[in-house]
Amino acid sequence: MLLPSSTYRTSAFVAAARRLPLDLTVASDFPSTFQDARPDALTTFDFADPARAARQARTFHERHPVHAVVGMDDDTAVLAAAIARELELPGNPVAAMEAARDKHRQRRLLASAGVPIPAFSLHPVAEDPADAAAGARFPCVLKPLRLAASRGVIRADDPAGFVTAHGRLARILAEPEVAACGEPARHYLVEEFVPGVEVAVEGLVHGGELTVLAVFDKPDPLDGPFFEETIYLTPTRLPADARAAVASCAGQAARALGIERGPVHAEVRWNARGPWLIEVAARPIGGRCSAVLRFGEGLMSLEELLLRDALDLPVPSLERERGAAGVMMIPVPGAGVLRAVHGRAEAAAVPGVTDVAITAHPGERLVPWPEGARYPGFLFARGETPAAVEGALREAHRRLEFELDR
Amino acid sequence: MADIRITAEPTDHTRCRFVLPVPLLEGGARRFTNAAEAQGSPLVEGIFAIPGLGVSEVIVSGGTVTVVKTSTSTWQQVGKSVGDAIRSALTTGTTPVAARRVERTDAVLDDDVLYDRVADLFEAQVNPMVARHGGRIELIDVQDAVVLLRMSGGCQGCGMADVTLRQGIEAMLRQEVPEVQGITDITDHASGSNPYVSASKK
Repeated sequence: MLLPSSTYRTSAFVAAARRLPLDLTVASDFPSTFQDARPDALTTFDFADPARAARQARTFHERHPVHAVVGMDDDTAVLAAAIARELELPGNPVAAMEAARDKHRQRRLLASAGVPIPAFSLHPVAEDPADAAAGARFPCVLKPLRLAASRGVIRADDPAGFVTAHGRLARILAEPEVAACGEPARHYLVEEFVPGVEVAVEGLVHGGELTVLAVFDKPDPLDGPFFEETIYLTPTRLPADARAAVASCAGQAARALGIERGPVHAEVRWNARGPWLIEVAARPIGGRCSAVLRFGEGLMSLEELLLRDALDLPVPSLERERGAAGVMMIPVPGAGVLRAVHGRAEAAAVPGVTDVAITAHPGERLVPWPEGARYPGFLFARGETPAAVEGALREAHRRLEFELDR
Repeated sequence: MADIRITAEPTDHTRCRFVLPVPLLEGGARRFTNAAEAQGSPLVEGIFAIPGLGVSEVIVSGGTVTVVKTSTSTWQQVGKSVGDAIRSALTTGTTPVAARRVERTDAVLDDDVLYDRVADLFEAQVNPMVARHGGRIELIDVQDAVVLLRMSGGCQGCGMADVTLRQGIEAMLRQEVPEVQGITDITDHASGSNPYVSASKK
């Protein structure tokens, strides 16, 4: 299991692995303090260099044989593919995972395959933004090639707004941890803004064919200027024909990239002209959001489903449980240092709310979008209908109070 | 005591911490896995007796009562019942949670022996390792061969705490003290103010 040290998903994946008949080895980008004591269970790979990581995995494999390799985000999906190729294990093509991670390569493949996507163009950050703006159609969206969680994604409605957005994005791309990814941090995309409602598609690919596990509505409009996400609700309230078109669009996108197996998470917009593929990723839903999804009578987690699939263990069901469920990625309440969060018990007491997970710690600096990419926490709810779940999430959020030093 | 404030902090749909401003148990912690074990601790007896809750575990540590349930009810639906059971026990005037039994049964002897062996392992091997990341593991108790521990410093709230716990500590215990049947982490990770690694990626 390739676990970046900063992922939100450690608990869910480790818990899922413990329920299965397997011996787990965790490879991370940073050495565990127990690595020397548990050399078969803990190791460190160079997450920034997939080829080197694959060689490290080969060395590890010679001492401790590996039977499957699982990534969980955009970067580790590339690593997993490189390691699977090196060890001759089932996996995705490296090129497909690289394309899924790189927004420009992804769009070129999607356009070639006829997947409906917004018009786009690639620009060097060093280019005069006034020149880039002169060739843009407004409204448009400036996007970095690699960053997650809509970090750095900014809408511009006119040339002046474009230049301002470019300045902000350029500063984000110049931050050391971002610039370290090299060439992708020296370019950005300019993309046509597509109006409409947005949904997220969670799916599992087998033999290149996508099975939809869930479609999430995003009831808060994502019209910019920044694109911090908030609420995800499933099942979707889109009509059946729209659902089918959205699912078909996501499946077409997965095939266009060459994804052969494993999880897919796609963002699709829907308007009078049909579905528009905004992003597709070869990973499961991000953050803590996967806790919304449970499958079959045993309420199996998404992580267990993915591990079973990777190991060719029986998957009892791909059917999501009955009823509605949702998550709110709690909006950043402002810029500042978190001192305390009040009202957690009151939020948890809202009918339908199943969990209040505050992930930011006291003393942590909260950074709003577009510079930020970390939610202070997550709210979860279940209910009879998506509307009831949405109401519960909004009421629980209303009861939370974040105390910041600004 | 009847109007004592109890804060419910759900960890997930199976586990919830009920935090009181007063200690229920002086020193250490107690873990109960069935109603029979709760005999003599009215607070815990009351929780196990809540109809339909399906309580599988209650852990009392200081002023915190952690309840683990198997029912599909939400904590919002059942939290009040747990709160009522706690308040009811506090109004009786009797000790709400009995200190760990001291009669020298084989099980207690075994737990005492295990405690010493686990404590030695923590001091000699586990804590020197986690100290490299500014962390510390506190052994709270061993009950019925289950280790209760609390993580602090860099481990409290760390994004990789579960890896440390399951791939490191648990595996080491399996190897060095194979009689240990499990680990229960009673850490309040949300209050960790200096985690070694914070989750930050979507």
